[in-house]
Amino acid sequence: MNERIRLLFAEAVDIKLSTLQNSEMTIEIAFIAPLCEVNKINDFIIVPFSKAENSFQNQLDTNPDYKIIEDVAKWQELLLRGNVLIEADEIIYSFNVSRIISIENPQTQVESAIQGPQLALSEDVFISLNLIRSMYPSPDLSVEEHSIGSLSKTPVFALFDQRRVDPTVLDNVRTKLTTINVEMLHAAGELEKLLIGRRKHLFPTVLITERPDRITKALSRGKIIILLKGNMFAIILPAIFFDFMHAVEDDYDAYWMTRFLIFLRYASIILTITLPALYISVVSYNPELFRVQLAFSIAGSRSAVPYPSFVEVFIMLFMIETLIEASIRLPRYIGSTATTVGGLILGQAAQQAGLVSSIMIIVTSVVAISNFVIPVNTLSFAVRFLKYPLIGVAIFFGITGVAVGMFIYITYLCNLRSFGKPYMRIFGKLRPLEGDIGQVNTE
Amino acid sequence: MNRYFFYNFILVSFINLMLYVPHILIQLRYSGAVSSMLVGIVIGSILVYMYSSALARYPEKGLPEILKLHCPKWLVSISMVFFAAMWWFATTIVVVAGAILINRFFNPDANVTLLLAMLVLACGYAATRSTLSVMFIVEIGLIVNAPIIMFVMFKAVRSPQLNWDAIRVVANYVTKMPTLTSVAAATFIFTGYINLSIFNRLFPPNFRFKFRWIYPLFGIMILFITFFVPIGFHGTEGVNQYIYIWSLTADSMLMQYGFIERILFLFLIVYLNLTLVYTMSGWHQAMELIKSCFRNSKPEIDSPKTLISNYVIVGIFASLTILYHMLTNEKINMYITSFWLVFRMFIEILTVIWVFVLSRRRSTAA
Repeated sequence: MNERIRLLFAEAVDIKLSTLQNSEMTIEIAFIAPLCEVNKINDFIIVPFSKAENSFQNQLDTNPDYKIIEDVAKWQELLLRGNVLIEADEIIYSFNVSRIISIENPQTQVESAIQGPQLALSEDVFISLNLIRSMYPSPDLSVEEHSIGSLSKTPVFALFDQRRVDPTVLDNVRTKLTTINVEMLHAAGELEKLLIGRRKHLFPTVLITERPDRITKALSRGKIIILLKGNMFAIILPAIFFDFMHAVEDDYDAYWMTRFLIFLRYASIILTITLPALYISVVSYNPELFRVQLAFSIAGSRSAVPYPSFVEVFIMLFMIETLIEASIRLPRYIGSTATTVGGLILGQAAQQAGLVSSIMIIVTSVVAISNFVIPVNTLSFAVRFLKYPLIGVAIFFGITGVAVGMFIYITYLCNLRSFGKPYMRIFGKLRPLEGDIGQVNTE
Repeated sequence: MNRYFFYNFILVSFINLMLYVPHILIQLRYSGAVSSMLVGIVIGSILVYMYSSALARYPEKGLPEILKLHCPKWLVSISMVFFAAMWWFATTIVVVAGAILINRFFNPDANVTLLLAMLVLACGYAATRSTLSVMFIVEIGLIVNAPIIMFVMFKAVRSPQLNWDAIRVVANYVTKMPTLTSVAAATFIFTGYINLSIFNRLFPPNFRFKFRWIYPLFGIMILFITFFVPIGFHGTEGVNQYIYIWSLTADSMLMQYGFIERILFLFLIVYLNLTLVYTMSGWHQAMELIKSCFRNSKPEIDSPKTLISNYVIVGIFASLTILYHMLTNEKINMYITSFWLVFRMFIEILTVIWVFVLSRRRSTAA
């Protein structure tokens, strides 16, 4: 066996091939050392073999962890996945000793909750599975393994509750998973793009999360979870717009407070999208929209500004966007400096220099702050983009343009589907006997 | 589930302001408008009941599919094209009036054709979506806008400036015989049921129409507010001087504590939204009706891909709308509208009776 393995691989010093002999028999073993737990090889193969207290052949036959491999084509993959190949009596066995380096049980960082589980998924997919299985101890939980990536061969696990899952969605996901054709796959975000299949999308239609409680809740609602090896994020699908506006704490805290918070989120999402465009249309088209006092104070604060309102808006939005981008990408220690400097410029100097009006500074900060209220980061990014097209129509059509633009956004959202499920709709009380709208036979 | 029928109903009853219904009624206020409204309420309610109970026997089916079950294909095709034209016309009047209204009150220096083009593009995009999406958009549009309209109406009715004497004077002309035009205008409030012709495809087999008593009540409320409130604000004679009577009525009110002071702006934005939603829904239905005439057409409520035929049909609608705007002016538009309202009433009565008779015949045969 060892000669053939030497031919199968490129010249590499870390492939260990050796022949062992004891009184009973001769075996050949092969493994790639860095991928394997050497202790385990010693404990399970080398020590029992050399001590020869029990018949090693017996051990090979009885322990189900030694799997008989008949297909030579699988050798390479098994070795690369951290298996030891053993040849005894012309029969090839494989034994899994893989060693996975990962952060053990990290804390939640991206979606933190004050109360509720603090444990996040692990980079080791089996630890994640352990977390999910122990939080969702149901015999109906089904786990499927797929492998994606012609080169990376990343194991991907699809989890679902077999009784509650929507069969059409499941079929859809299965065909997607089997037909994905890429070389490398490492991140959940990458898989998201491949699953959606559309090259240009704006809104996230699958939810990426690190929280096991969100995952188990989704499982109980019949959704499908996809776990990736080496990735501490799971994908939940299908996901709808309201999932992205929902923080896990909404289920844990007091009812009225959480309703208020949800209202706050929707109010701020509307503000962050429309405010710059409304500023342009009020200042340049319909100053009479507001009551006289307010109209005067807006006009007064703009008296030092020499150019039209949209230039002002572009200046301020450019500054705030670069500031946000810089503080995300910079190392943590420099990041705070950037925000301080930027905040100073935005707060006072720009207005005193007569570059922008003081109202515009308030508008900018409201836009930025209310954008951060959205609990899930991917949606927050999508929403950050939405204000620009609206500014575009507001320049030409004023408030009319903003209203029409919002109508088009709603149309776009209602038209989106996440794996066949409507992305945005208002859910009312539903009587299961009566069925839902659109639940008709289409042959 | 019944709310989806209700949305269609209130959408149409709210949109009557854009179709000059209050203006037509108010013009005839001394010569039969009040009694016509009473007659209109009766006719409208009967039609709602008949059409919904007829369609309840054909779950998952739209008007074209129902007619195809019983009638020869050529007849169905002709009537579908005809209905589509009717629907297109209603929405065209609304969207053209909307563009003119925005130009009058909001952006006086803007080019009306350009404004109309923008509205038409937005509605065209929305109308090409699937039937299910259109229904969701209607729902969201109404949930956002209807409370504001209710607020404006409530504020109008409770306003101290409302002169109840003027309303009483006009109401006393109830003894005059009803006229055809005003009956037609009054029944328009109730005509939301006809939207079920396509949206009935969405209702699952176990769906039942419930709370049908709400529709006459709601229609009566809207109709009376539409007609009497402007009279109360502007007086029995002054009310006849305006075409966009409700915009001026809304402008007669102030919100003392709101930071938008004039209700007019609130009203205009809301009606702009409703115009967009109504136009989208109307074009979508007209498009589906035309598509049902194609030989191998299959009604699809939520197709994952937008068909090219959708774009073509709606593109034709959109360009015809702009053409209509260029060829007519407000005066002709008003004139045509009052004719169209009468014509529409007869067509709808015929359609409802046709479908109703078909549904009864089917049940006796079975």
